[in-house]
Amino acid sequence: MQKNSLKYAVLLVLLGVVAYNSVYFKKLDEVKANAGSNTDQKFDAAAYAQTFWTSKLLPASASSATDLSALLSSLKTDKTKAFDNSHALGIGNIRYFLVKGEGKITAIGDNDVTVSLLTGETVNLATEYIFGNAARDASGLIKITEFDNTTDLNNVSAELNNIIRKKVLPPFKASAKTGSTVKFVGAIELNKEHLHLENLEVIPISIEVH
Amino acid sequence: MQLTVNAYRPFLTKFQSLIALFILCLGISLLSDKFLTVANFWNVLRQISVNVCISTGMTLVVLTAGIDLSVGSVLALSGAITAGLLRNGIQLPSANLYIGFTLLGATLAGLVTGSGLGWFNGWAITRFKLPPFVATLAMLTIARGLTMLWTEGFPITGLGDSFTFLGTGWFLGIPLPVWLSGIIVAVAVLITNKTRLGRYIYAIGGSESAARLSGVNINKIKIAVYSIAGALAAVGGLLVTSRLDSAQPNAGTSYELDSIAAVVIGGTSLSGGRGSILGTVQGAIIIGVLNNGLVLLNVSPFWQQVVKGFVILLAVIIDKSNSKAE
Repeated sequence: MQKNSLKYAVLLVLLGVVAYNSVYFKKLDEVKANAGSNTDQKFDAAAYAQTFWTSKLLPASASSATDLSALLSSLKTDKTKAFDNSHALGIGNIRYFLVKGEGKITAIGDNDVTVSLLTGETVNLATEYIFGNAARDASGLIKITEFDNTTDLNNVSAELNNIIRKKVLPPFKASAKTGSTVKFVGAIELNKEHLHLENLEVIPISIEVH
Repeated sequence: MQLTVNAYRPFLTKFQSLIALFILCLGISLLSDKFLTVANFWNVLRQISVNVCISTGMTLVVLTAGIDLSVGSVLALSGAITAGLLRNGIQLPSANLYIGFTLLGATLAGLVTGSGLGWFNGWAITRFKLPPFVATLAMLTIARGLTMLWTEGFPITGLGDSFTFLGTGWFLGIPLPVWLSGIIVAVAVLITNKTRLGRYIYAIGGSESAARLSGVNINKIKIAVYSIAGALAAVGGLLVTSRLDSAQPNAGTSYELDSIAAVVIGGTSLSGGRGSILGTVQGAIIIGVLNNGLVLLNVSPFWQQVVKGFVILLAVIIDKSNSKAE
């Protein structure tokens, strides 16, 4: 009888310790206040994307974009080292780079503008189909932990692509001519395991035509 | 010739899974130079860890001549409960109360959810004499629906580095999920080989009426076995959620099939009473290596399903043939 009581007492203490370390209680209004009342607000992907574009992506484009010609050369000689400059939110072989380059327009197609870089390589600046997560992930400045769910995260991509479609592409399309010189910053997507450098497509973030 | 086959039959029967695994590894390594690499070795082990956890529980269930079709959904719900509590806690606006959960609390809640659902399976099967197939099929739908309700159809992400460490971390040069599944396998081997519960499980699968007449509390053992299977599915849910840093509402879909395949390929008889945990581990490795090999060889996902189906069929045919021979 005494042995059983001791057993139950130990069990109770153990449960108490586990429970004490498992849950904690707070006033709900305090938690909401600390969270900036975000729990009840719908995530505004458009506003987030606009802020990200102006305060993070464009400054990063100016300061930390990798030179595309140097990257292409590095990918051919030391792929592993070259991918050190890449970013991605998830695991896997798909990686993104924020790149900059300069070259001459050699062709203007329905879906893209072909640019011959000063070092001779040819890349395509996308002008029609702006999809995917390249613009969002290439800078590595967005963290997945900032979002409650992946839908919000994906909506940011969609909104960034919208900004490119509305603000970057129309002036570029209007001024692009074969033979013109362009300076651009953009995002590219590469598969680390199955690397294809032919017909490389750049999602433009900023373009200057001279 | 017949004499030669019969002479080697005991050897072939005993080591059939290992022989199959060896032939599979040899074939894939000849066709892909990426297969026999250290990175791919850990990759395969990490991938099969979840299936090993689920299949260990499934083996115990199948040894009692039962089946558990709900493990994939239980995995999803347990993972979602853990993620939801960890991320959002429980909010009670009427009492102006927020109940927050620590990593320990949320993890325990997920495990309790899994074992609770497993207990319900066992209770329904023993209390109402339902065929395990039907009872667990019902739970498959119930748990999936509850997952959708809990997550509102959206993934729950951003669970923190300490939680994701469980699915992505390393300890002594070995991935943590491999450690965890290894410990689970070791405990299950001990239970099945060295404990009274293990002997009762085999006895129930061998002949339920004989076990009952011998004084075995059939209902209690079955409920325990389904509870363990649920708890191990929950461990699988924790690993998946942790690895992805996200609880997906559709996580674990068709995991029950991979789990049953591992059990059958590992030599456990679907009619119960015969099989082993280590055999199931071999089955899980075969399934994992097969999946990995088919991906490395760029086989279309549609064909992968077909190939896996035929492998399961072949395993069952061999199992039948062995039973007849015995």
